Order: sequence, then structure tokens, then C-alpha cells
Amino acid sequence: MKINTSYSESIKQIREKNLPSREHSRRIIHWEEKHRIKSEVVKALVFILPTRGCSWALSGSGGCSVCGYLYDNPQKPDFEMIMISIKDILNKKIQQEEEYSIKIFTSGSFLDRNEVPINVQEAILKELAKYHQIREIVLESRPEYINDKILQNIVNNIDISKIEIAIGLESANNKILKNSVNKGFFWEDFEQATERIIKFGAKVKAYLLFKPPFVTEYDSINDIFLSVSKIKKLGIDTVSINAISIHRGTYLSLLFEKNQYRPPWLWSLVYICKEIKAKFPEIRLICDVVAGGTRRGAHNCGECDKAILEQLKEFTLTQDLKALNHNIQCSCKEEWKGYVLHEKIS
Amino acid sequence: MRFFQPKSQLGFARILAETRSKVPISPGLISLEKPLKKEGYSAYFEIPFPTLDNIDKSSKKLIWIFPKEKEEKVLSKSFVLTEQPFYPHFVSDSISSQDYFEYVESFLSFPEAFRQIFTLPITMTDSKLVNQVSQTDCSLYILTGLSSLFNNQRRLSELLVSLREKISPDIAIYVPGPISPAFYSFLVYSGIDFFDNSQAYYTSKNGYFLTIDRTYSNEEHPTCYCPYCMEKPPNLFKHNELIIKNALTRIHHSLKEETLRTLVEKDIHNKVSFAATLRKYDSVFSQSFRSRSPIISNATMKCVGEESLSRPVITEYRNRIRERFVPDLLSRIVLLLPCSARKPYSFSRSHMQIRKAIKKGGRGIFSILSELIVTSPLSVVPRELEGIFPAKFYDIPVAGQWTSKEISITATLLNDILKRYSKDAIIINHMSGEGYKDIIQIVREQNSFTVYDTSQEASPTSDKSLSRLSETLQEIFSDKFSSDVQAPSTLTKKLRAISDFQFGSDTGRILFADSLKTKGKYPRNQQIFSEKEQIAILNSKNGFLSLSPDSAQSISTKSKNILEFGDIQVKGSNIFAPGCIKADNSILPNDEIFVVFEKQVVATAKAIVSGKDMNKMTSGIVAEIKKKTRVKK
Repeated sequence: MKINTSYSESIKQIREKNLPSREHSRRIIHWEEKHRIKSEVVKALVFILPTRGCSWALSGSGGCSVCGYLYDNPQKPDFEMIMISIKDILNKKIQQEEEYSIKIFTSGSFLDRNEVPINVQEAILKELAKYHQIREIVLESRPEYINDKILQNIVNNIDISKIEIAIGLESANNKILKNSVNKGFFWEDFEQATERIIKFGAKVKAYLLFKPPFVTEYDSINDIFLSVSKIKKLGIDTVSINAISIHRGTYLSLLFEKNQYRPPWLWSLVYICKEIKAKFPEIRLICDVVAGGTRRGAHNCGECDKAILEQLKEFTLTQDLKALNHNIQCSCKEEWKGYVLHEKIS
Repeated sequence: MRFFQPKSQLGFARILAETRSKVPISPGLISLEKPLKKEGYSAYFEIPFPTLDNIDKSSKKLIWIFPKEKEEKVLSKSFVLTEQPFYPHFVSDSISSQDYFEYVESFLSFPEAFRQIFTLPITMTDSKLVNQVSQTDCSLYILTGLSSLFNNQRRLSELLVSLREKISPDIAIYVPGPISPAFYSFLVYSGIDFFDNSQAYYTSKNGYFLTIDRTYSNEEHPTCYCPYCMEKPPNLFKHNELIIKNALTRIHHSLKEETLRTLVEKDIHNKVSFAATLRKYDSVFSQSFRSRSPIISNATMKCVGEESLSRPVITEYRNRIRERFVPDLLSRIVLLLPCSARKPYSFSRSHMQIRKAIKKGGRGIFSILSELIVTSPLSVVPRELEGIFPAKFYDIPVAGQWTSKEISITATLLNDILKRYSKDAIIINHMSGEGYKDIIQIVREQNSFTVYDTSQEASPTSDKSLSRLSETLQEIFSDKFSSDVQAPSTLTKKLRAISDFQFGSDTGRILFADSLKTKGKYPRNQQIFSEKEQIAILNSKNGFLSLSPDSAQSISTKSKNILEFGDIQVKGSNIFAPGCIKADNSILPNDEIFVVFEKQVVATAKAIVSGKDMNKMTSGIVAEIKKKTRVKK
């Protein structure tokens, strides 16, 4: 059993209460940002496609305990509109002399044909293949949709070496996947999917979740280290550490409201990044903090948050440890240590 | 062998010492990190942050703080937190129980159990696997999640009482997390031994200023002149740390003085749910606390609030009076007297005046007179027992008003005692005032005794009342007195009553003849002789008896204070748990007990912990030897 039945049942109940409030339709969201590919910084174009949302989250399992992205997806997708918008945006944004990384996110799995029909997948890939300026395309998917057939389909439409498939592994510990995240798959599934992707010539990026519910900050630091070591052995060189932000309408949100969860400290993220980069310099380590510095996101005391978030941003972009070594002093650094120890003991 | 040795016990509270060096370390404070200054801390954690090279293998230690010269002697300088269950206490069982059981099973296989720290979430305290851990030498439990029950008096009392009833008193419980120092005394009384300084981190971080009984905002608080507040700017963390350290020394001290219960009654005013929990302890769980509260003590006892009425030692006192007090057979006049502020009563002005008036009743009047002092919260104190704890040591605010609860408790006990007297006994009521009137009313309704009132119109010490008393006594005296019968001396009556109270019914008559010789006058201890042989010592401080081993032998079949020992000879000056085959469950801490091997008293001893707990301990000292029986060759 990859899920804990009673836990998943309570997640599902929360989900069912919140799902009807979703909007009926949504437009495509996109923005530009800076992004690092190997040794250079390029422009990145990010698309959020308004699909019906993650099938796992919509399933009887209730989905992941921490994820509320689903509530931003519309009740019904409009793929015609999506295709027109993508073409239009690419046409307007892509400039002749620049190089680009394209990120196509759905808040679910791009490779899930129930979420993104196979013909839409093909059409988008074909469209992207038209631009030689695009050096990298990031797609997100759960491992169960990554099979030979769907990978072959990519090969048929685009140079697969440009593709990076990002998988939300969250943790390499099956106990955490089952009893904390309600992820529905295990480490072994991720392992298999990775092998397949590499065999076909694409790259893999792993997302790790920092401080899932019920796991103390201390244990989660440990878990990130353990997971990174395991991931590295698979030949993956890009890891994104995602510090939790508390989405409304989730199990985690309830814990937070009951005062049984504190989002992670930014100090912990700095510590993790330093430790990993120092020991594994070849890993591209991404640490984009969502809702950083807010009550529902990773935060410190409020005074030093901004400066530390800047550092983490700079580090993600430059991959240079020096970015993290500006000595920010704040009285809350001691409190952070005290907090982590106390949380661990109790 | 466990790491801790109880030194004293009061309710579930104990002073715990390290078992080899005897350095007292609990109730104590644990620092989450190595403190700059070790004073005031019992131990500190050494938990390195995880690193990539050392994933989940870093050793998490608790380092005990001992004086340098004792360090070499101790059983262990540190404990280890080898593993912890994965999920916190608030996670539902369906998620955590499987993992928790795996944790406990691996815990049971860890080496050196005495230095392993066991994590026990409140949701798991009833689990059978936990019972297995309690059979090992594991000496320290981290009880997690307890503060979530602080507003639930029913679950809080059930959980703490059942846990403490289950585990041995030489196992310490540590409750981690921020807890107000105002709650320490109550929690220590409930059986918690260690707290940590996270309250200092927490309050300082959020800008709160601590005092021993309250939390203030850092903007507006009482001025404090401690060195840390005098610093510019004031060091809030250090101030708060000082407050929690002092809160613990205050408790430590009151445990040494045996006044913890008074402190608890005062401190529960800081939190109503704890006040409610204490009432549960005194009603539903009274037996658990009574059997662990010493009755041999010489601590002053302030009885101010309603909680004092149902204090365990007072309930125990009333119970023993009800079950064990037997008036002398010749008693025909029962004189009911009011209490006095000065203790023992007979040292007070009022009682001296009353005594003078009694003497006018006739020569030999004391042989047929029994004096009962009616008082709250003890209800009834026979004159014979005025010198023992708690009768000699309590203090109450007297305003002349009795609550209906006080009246009913007192009248009930008084009625029960009066039933012990001969049917033709006469009662003289020399008390006045509203509460006393109600009590006498109930006595009249429920008994057929003739009752004379001698202090109806004026106060008991007025000339009018005193002469009424003398006259009344004179009238009855000739009727009831017969000079043919040899009456026991006043001293004998007193010693018999104390013995019955202390050792069990019927023991007094066996031990003490009608007339005795004594040596030593108050305030010295009185040595009691019978035919040139010293049979007992009456301790003048606490009013209780110490017996010679021969005297002890003579009551060993009647007494309840029996510890069955495993050998004919007692070696050294202590009784250790493995030598204790079985201790009577009614033994209280501090009790004078008799160490018995095959029906032979081999020594007298002083109990360190209750009999119930002696039976639970597997190592360590359970009693200190007072006198050994001389081996006759």
C-alpha cells in the first residue's frame, strides 16, 4: 500500500469541501524570469497552463497533503484557447538574439494524457521545436505517466536532449511519502521513471519538499541530505529544494491553523544549500522560496528575511557559495537553533 | 541499575539523586544547548546539526552536570537519544502507531538501557509495549504533547496519575517545550521531574517578561533589579532564564522542607484548569496521593484555601482517626473543646485556663475524661494526639465562619468517634460560635448521648463559662467515678493513641503498660522505659514514636508498617530494592517501618518512598536503617 487509507480519507474530505469553489475558466498565465543553464544565465519563459489540474489531487486519494495548486485550475480546460495563447506569446516574446529556457507547468502532470491530451502535448512540443533559440524545455510530471510510449512521442516531435522532466519526488523516504505527503508513489517509482528518461536522452530534475507535515525541521534537514545523496547516485544533477508554503484548503493548512506546524526557517535553507553545494559542487541546486518571509511561507523573524531571500535568489542564479557567505547577523539566528532543537526533542 | 535514586517523596513529587554520587538533580532544568554558565541546570543537550557526511548518525547526547569532585563516581555522565519516533504526538494513531511500535521494539534492544532516553507521546501511554520499557533500567522518559492537555483537567489527571502509578519512582519524566514557571510546582507534584529552558527562548523571542507567577509584555512589566535587567539594554533572555531557574530552586526547597503541597495550593491560582485538576487528584485519585504523602513530618502546614480541606495528609489523618482511634475504656465524660491558634493546643492560654477549670471538677477527673478538640480542617483532634503532625503544625485563617462542607465533614467524623464511647457517656460541649453550634446540632440529632452546654452564652474562656464547666464536671463526676478501678496514666493513654495512629489498631495496648517511666523533658525527645528497658522514643518535634526492635517484634503481627526482607541479617545502613520481598501498601514515605525476615524483626527503618513504590523499584535504596536487632548468640 502506497497510501495510508485513513490519512488519505481525511485529506480527501478537505479537498471535497474546497473543490466546488474553483472558477469555471482561466486564462494562461505567463511571465519572464532569469534562469541558469549550466554555466550561463538565460531568460526563462514560464507558462502556467489552465488544465483541469492534477489527476492525483482529483482522485479518491485526496492528493498530496500540502498541495492546493489544484484550486487555481479551472473546472473545465479550453485547449483551443491554450494553443492560441502559447503560439501568440512565443511569437511575441522570443527574440532573435536571445537564448531561452521554457517552463511549461500545469500544476499537475504535462505528460498525463488525461490532463493534457496527447494531441495537445504534440502540438505544444511541435510549436516549441520551431524556435532554435530555445535551449531547454522544462516539463513537470508524476512518475506514473512517464512510460516508453509517451517518451517516444516526445522524441517524435522535438529534440529530446532539450527536455528536462521535473518530478516532484519530495522525499526519498517512503514513510514520509506515505504518511506525511500522501504522495501515492514510492522512491522506487521515481527511480524507474528516471532510468527511462535518461535512457531516452532527456534530463531529470527532482523537487524535494523541505519540512513536510509531522516532520520536524531537524529531521527534514536530515531527510533532504539523505534524499540528495540518493538522487545523486541516479545521475541526476539538478535538485530543487522547495520550502513549504502553506496552501489554503489543504491538510497542512489545518495543522497550521491548529498551531501544530511552523513553516521552515530561512536559516535552515541557507544551511542546507551551503552544506549540499560544499559537498556536491556539481549539483545544480535551486532554491526558489515561494511566499518567503510571510507567515505561511518560510520565514525568520521578519527583520532579516528580505536580505536572506535575496541571498538565496542570488545563489540559485549564480550557483556560487559566495552568495551565501555574506555574513548576515540577526538575533533570531540563535532562536532558530533553539527552535530546531526543541522541536526535535519534543 | 537505574540512574536515579529517590531521596524523598511527597505525592508524585520526588527529589531524585544520581544513584552512586547521591547528588540531587531533580526537580531540575535542562538546557537545550550547552549553557555558558552551568549553575541552575541539571543537564544540557548536545545535539549537532545533521550534515551530509553524517546523516542521521550524529549522536544526540544529554550531558549531566555534576560537581567536579563527584564526576568520577557517577553511574554515567551522559544519556543518549539514540532514536526517536518519527511522528509527533498530535498525529492520529493510524499514521503513527506502526512506526511507534517499531521504535519501541528497537528501543528495547538498545544497549545500556539506563542511559537511553525514551520518548513517550501522550497518545501512547496506555500501550502495552510501554509497559515493557518500564521493566528495563531506562531512567528518563520524554513525555511529549502534555501541554495540549493543560486545559483538559479530566484527561490530564487521568493520564498523569495512571502513568505515575504504572512506573517506578526512580524513573524521571521530562516534559519538553515552553512551560510557564508558574506551573512547575503543580507539575512536579503530578510527577514531572524535568523541564527545559525553551520557555526562556520562547518568551525572549516574542518579547515577554517573566515573573515567577506571570508573564508580562516587555513594554510594561514590574521593575526588576536583577543584574540582567540593570544591563543597558536589559538582557531579556538572561532575566527570563534566571526566573525559571529560581522557580525550580523554590520547588526543590519546598520539597526538602516538605511544604510543596502548600506551594501547590498557592500556585494553582495561576491557572484555573490546574486548580480543577488538583480537585480531581483530591477526590477521584485521592488514594494515589494519600499513599505517597508522608504523615511523619514537622513542616508547618498553611491551610488557607478550600483545597486544604481535602489535602491528602488531612484526609489520611481523618481516616486514621476514624479507623484507629479508640478512647480509653474508662472514659465516661467527653469534653468537646474549640481549637487554639497556638499549637500544641495545651500550650495555649485558652487551653491552660480550661485545664484549670477541669481540675476543679474533682480529683481523678482525668481518668474518666476524654478531650476532643473540634477544628477545621482536621475535624477532630483527641487530646492524646495534639502533639503529632499534622495536628501540631497546621495553621488556618480564623474568622469564625464555617463552610457547609467543613461542617458536614467535621460533624460526620465527630459522630463516628462518639460511637466508640460507652453508651452512658456524657458529652460536655464547651464550644461557642455559629459553626460549632451547627456541628453540635447534628451530634444531638444523630446520637442519644446527654449533651451539656457550658459555653452557650459567653466565650469558652470567660469566667462564666469556665465556672459553668467546673460546676458541670463536679455534678457528673461523683456519679461516674469509681476509685476502685486503676486507670492508665495520661502518658500511657497518649502513647497508646499515638501508636495506634502510627502503627495500626491495637498496637498501643501491647506496647505500653498502664504506668511507665520516662527520661528527658520537652523540648528534648522523651525516652520511654518499661521495667528498666527502653522500649521507645517519643520524638518531640514531630510527635511520633521510634521503637526498639524488641518492641517492634511485639507488635509485628498487628502493625501495618512491615517490610518483608530477604535475609536474616541486614548489612550496611540501607535496605535496597532487591532485598525487599514485599512492602505493605499502606507504608507512607518517612514512616517508621519494621524489617521482617520469617516473622522476626531484624531492624527498624525509615521509609524513603511509599510501600507501593518500594514494590515497584528494582534497584536503589527503599529505606534507611534506624536500629538493627542484636543477634543473640
